Amino acid sequence: MTATLSEFRQRAKTAIEDVRLQGALDGGTGKLWEMRRLTFEELPNSDALRDHFKAIRSATLRNLVEHLETFEKNATAAGANVHWARDGTDAREIVISIAQEHGVKLVTKSKSMATEEIHLNEALAEVGVEAIETDLGEYIVQLAEETPSHIIAPAIHKTRHEAAELLGRESGRSLSPDDLTTLTGEARKLLRKRFLTAGMGISGGNMIVAETGSVVLVTNEGNARMVTSVPPVHIAVVGIEKIIPTWDAAAIWLSLLARSASGQPLSIYTSVITGPSRAGDPDGTGEVHIVLLDNGRSELVGTKYEEVLQCIRCGACLNVCPVYREAGGHSYDSPYPGPIGAVVTPLLLGRENYEALPHASSLCGACKEVCPVRIDLPRMLLELRADQVAERTIPWKERKAEEAGAFVFKHEKLMRFMTNAARLAQRPFSRDGKLHLPQRLNPALERQLPALAKRSFREMWKSGELEEK
Amino acid sequence: MSAREEILERLRRKASNVEMPGAWQSQRNFPDLAERFTASLTAVRGEVRRAENLEAALVEVGTILEEVSAKTVVANNESPLSDVALAERWPECAWHIVGQSSGDLREFCAGADVGLSGVEAALAETGSLVVHSGVGKSRLATLLPPVHIALVPVSCLAPDIFTWTASRNQEAPMPSNLNLISGPSKSADIEFTLTLGVHGPKRLVAVLYE
Ligand code: SF4
Repeated sequence: MTATLSEFRQRAKTAIEDVRLQGALDGGTGKLWEMRRLTFEELPNSDALRDHFKAIRSATLRNLVEHLETFEKNATAAGANVHWARDGTDAREIVISIAQEHGVKLVTKSKSMATEEIHLNEALAEVGVEAIETDLGEYIVQLAEETPSHIIAPAIHKTRHEAAELLGRESGRSLSPDDLTTLTGEARKLLRKRFLTAGMGISGGNMIVAETGSVVLVTNEGNARMVTSVPPVHIAVVGIEKIIPTWDAAAIWLSLLARSASGQPLSIYTSVITGPSRAGDPDGTGEVHIVLLDNGRSELVGTKYEEVLQCIRCGACLNVCPVYREAGGHSYDSPYPGPIGAVVTPLLLGRENYEALPHASSLCGACKEVCPVRIDLPRMLLELRADQVAERTIPWKERKAEEAGAFVFKHEKLMRFMTNAARLAQRPFSRDGKLHLPQRLNPALERQLPALAKRSFREMWKSGELEEK
Repeated sequence: MSAREEILERLRRKASNVEMPGAWQSQRNFPDLAERFTASLTAVRGEVRRAENLEAALVEVGTILEEVSAKTVVANNESPLSDVALAERWPECAWHIVGQSSGDLREFCAGADVGLSGVEAALAETGSLVVHSGVGKSRLATLLPPVHIALVPVSCLAPDIFTWTASRNQEAPMPSNLNLISGPSKSADIEFTLTLGVHGPKRLVAVLYE
């Protein structure tokens, strides 16, 4: 997977020209964004809560080693097997060896970005283990042999017609795209069969709680409950940064996650797994394995990029990002799209593979404002660009533009002035709300961006105005 | 060096001790917990039936069983259900009482019309039910059947998730499986249109009794 400047440019262009996709992106992200606003309005003192949570995330990362050791001790005491994986290779080997030890041929999976990051499904397929995604959106995307395009709405780019065709092909029936109840009913039947016959369940982990050694999984459909309770073996693959010391702090995480992701006060199901079934439990899993995945995360601790590890993967920054909303998730070619993806993808999956992503931003700042952990993504995007300039990894032409960009951004007043100036200057080039810049004026990406709104995103955000642009 | 040591060693070199902020205090002060619980669960398409006492709650359960024409019911063997002679009360249904009935529990749950359970706690702010695994408490009974009925005593209502975690008994071990259930199973993965029951129960009824 890669996103070079020309690849990103080409994919974004295709997305922008796809009228249907543009409608789906606008409608979907707009809806999530509005629902988020409503639940935050209802939450007393939410600004203070976000500050409090950021302080917790930041303090936890400063002493990750202590919390991870506490987690390991408590999870082990509860009967879980804790494994450590330096990288994707380690993690894949661990999972495959557990699968082989149990003679597993079929795995049911609950949505997990960590396993997508390490291409686990492909690795399992190579050794003859079929892995079925069970989140409805992920299942549709898997049937289509595509990848998810949004962190919490993986099939945001698929229509109900496509869903009906894919599910119909799988079940051997012709399904009407207009009858969603029958459609999801069919998916329920297809996946039920899989759950009851799978030899193993694989999940990610929304968080792991050190004080009790628990893995926490959040879904609305209930598929994580299935994956972690029906098959005899459960493996959770979790990034080491997903740790939280206590249940008091985990409660804040849960509350902010559901509100930021989809505007729900809590997700429908919050499942807490603390080791395998105990003596006396009438059902459940016989074995629980937790794979703690590093894959570049520990390298970021103590650097100017440490803040990115505070992310709780809520997807809110995608919904407000003018670049994501135009270019769509596939332009990033990463399990992590949008503003968070633009920062974390090059850092975890190789800067050389994703040179375009630090540029896939208009630096409007909406991501930082909406983020429940107030992560300063624009700052880190600029840091990544500055690194590229220093390391001379991008051509001279772009470098000049970046130097100018970085300079402008560091001087906030100048930036505000330049943004206003740009709004005036773009007038001759702005058609249908899209900005068509002559290439020589727009060297970094030669991108076709949405024209700057009459009022900037940031201004609209501040004044609480949240209508669709 | 093992992967574990390598990762921990790298982190240890960079670790510093920063003071961890304390617990967040709940900001909620609902005048009537039962009312808020009812409003919240109803808002997410769950159902709440109110009853004056346990006996009235059981009458409600009977009404629901009739409404959904339940033929097979799985019931957790926990408070307050363990004190009720369920099979005698509703002989027209085939019952599986967890931990008591013979036969394969998983198979029964997969074919059951209704799952009946108690709760450990309930959260008013979000309309959530807290269910545990344990002796007599099946995970699948509240998950596989298309209808889940939960008996919820008003006395177990906590204002919100923060008061609930604060009241957690730190000495008591966590169950192997704990679920916060805040509505019927729901998906909006196809064009952001809401559908219920894609994996878990499509109906969730809390019978709230005094
Ligand atoms: S960066 Fe913030 S807004 Fe974006 S996914 Fe992470 S937590 Fe959510």
